Amino acid sequence: MKTKKIGIIVLGLILPAAILLLWYFSTNFTSTPESILPRISTVGRKFREMIQTGQLQEDLGISLGRVLKGFVLAALFGILVGSIVGMSETAKRICLPTITAIRQIPIIAWVPLIILWCGIGEASKVVIIVMAAFFPIMVNTMSGMIETPKGYVEVAKLYKLSRLKTFTKVYLPHALPNILVGLKLGLGVSWMAVVAAELIASLSGIGYRMSNARSLMQSDTVIVCMLVIGVVGIIMDKLISIVFSLLTPWQKSNNK
Amino acid sequence: MSNNEIVKVKHLNKEYVADGKPFLVLKDIDLTIKEGEFVTIVGHSGCGKSTLLKIICGLVDYSDGTVERNGEKVKGPSPNCGMVFQDHRLLPWLKIKDNVGFGIKDLPKDQRDKLVREHLELVGLKGFENSYPSQLSGGMSQRAAIARGLASDPKILLLDEPFGALDALTRIQMQREILRIQKEKGTTMIMVTHDIDEAIFLGERIIVMSARPGEIKDIITTDKFSRRNRGSADFAAYKRKIYNFFFEDSAELLEEAEFVI
Repeated sequence: MKTKKIGIIVLGLILPAAILLLWYFSTNFTSTPESILPRISTVGRKFREMIQTGQLQEDLGISLGRVLKGFVLAALFGILVGSIVGMSETAKRICLPTITAIRQIPIIAWVPLIILWCGIGEASKVVIIVMAAFFPIMVNTMSGMIETPKGYVEVAKLYKLSRLKTFTKVYLPHALPNILVGLKLGLGVSWMAVVAAELIASLSGIGYRMSNARSLMQSDTVIVCMLVIGVVGIIMDKLISIVFSLLTPWQKSNNK
Repeated sequence: MSNNEIVKVKHLNKEYVADGKPFLVLKDIDLTIKEGEFVTIVGHSGCGKSTLLKIICGLVDYSDGTVERNGEKVKGPSPNCGMVFQDHRLLPWLKIKDNVGFGIKDLPKDQRDKLVREHLELVGLKGFENSYPSQLSGGMSQRAAIARGLASDPKILLLDEPFGALDALTRIQMQREILRIQKEKGTTMIMVTHDIDEAIFLGERIIVMSARPGEIKDIITTDKFSRRNRGSADFAAYKRKIYNFFFEDSAELLEEAEFVI
């Protein structure tokens, strides 16, 4: 059992190792200039330096705060709207066409309007994240609700459960795995949105740091920021998975 | 056994609309069931027997005719009438004890737990309180579904092909179990099945239905001793009688049926 677990971790490390190896060879054995692709050691040095000055923690803290605020709001709205639209045929008929149309508009296209409405302060960044993360969460919640087998709903009807009880005992637990998928997608989109928002209009955060470094040709800083976003993202993704495996114990017994 | 009429169906017609055209699923059903009786309904798949059960328990509306439970017109589901489905329909996210207690309402926790325990014991699932449905075999899941159906203490239990998905040996075992349970609880049971042997073995009366539209062709009253003995001549006679109903139009099929008997 334990060796199997180690095996799974090793499999997950194959690609990162290959990328590092490729990176190492292309910087140490070709004539790629440092400003285009810095060496691993340069990026490592930059990382230590940014930690020591506290700049990295500060940037990450600001961006993470925005992501969390936006993501939590998007999760609340997304699950709420997804549940209503998923449970009520009428609500679905009213909302779905409009929602589908709005979904097609790329989030970047919203940025100018949102800045006009909310200014370039904190609010506009959070709004951009909420708008980006809302749709994957809402759509997945909705499909989880719609796919609830009619037989289970009939059992709730047989025992005369109220609409609220039918929701908490039948629809919601059935939709939980879909909601998990929606939240994971939403989280990824949140990071995308915060970086995009900070690239366009901000004087703080990890996205701002990247765009600033790009204009100064500091590719090592850009790469440090990218790596940090990737690592923080995978940690948050895992955290969501852990919370959900605690919330869905019946699925664990399935996998035994 | 009292002679109270617990279910009374009079001139019931039921139409469904498919592709814009109405078609008749149930035609002029007349049926009276006494308290404590075990009645089986046998018929082709699609003959409307499941619809009939759903109408009796109030899950499906009807427009034409009357359906009464305990002398009252059926207007919707009631705790008085439980139902067990072919696919056990245990909720995968609830532990067995919560599934069994699903229909118990307005009772303090300790009484509810007691009822759940008693019913798990009744169906032989003691010790599985904290398992999830996915950990149970098909037969065990169906036992849990029966426990759920009975835990809310209904007067009538409707069973919609509850053993249809089980293997032959488990099915025979479950047939004996349901008889024992019925004797212990005294619940009126109406079971839909397409297994003729099962219908004879369990049914004090067997309702034979034809398909499209679903109509009652005959009601056969069986004798207790002959129906419990699958090898008896009477059992074979009941069986032949039912086969004749289903295959009356087709000499070929009838021959086949004779061969099976």
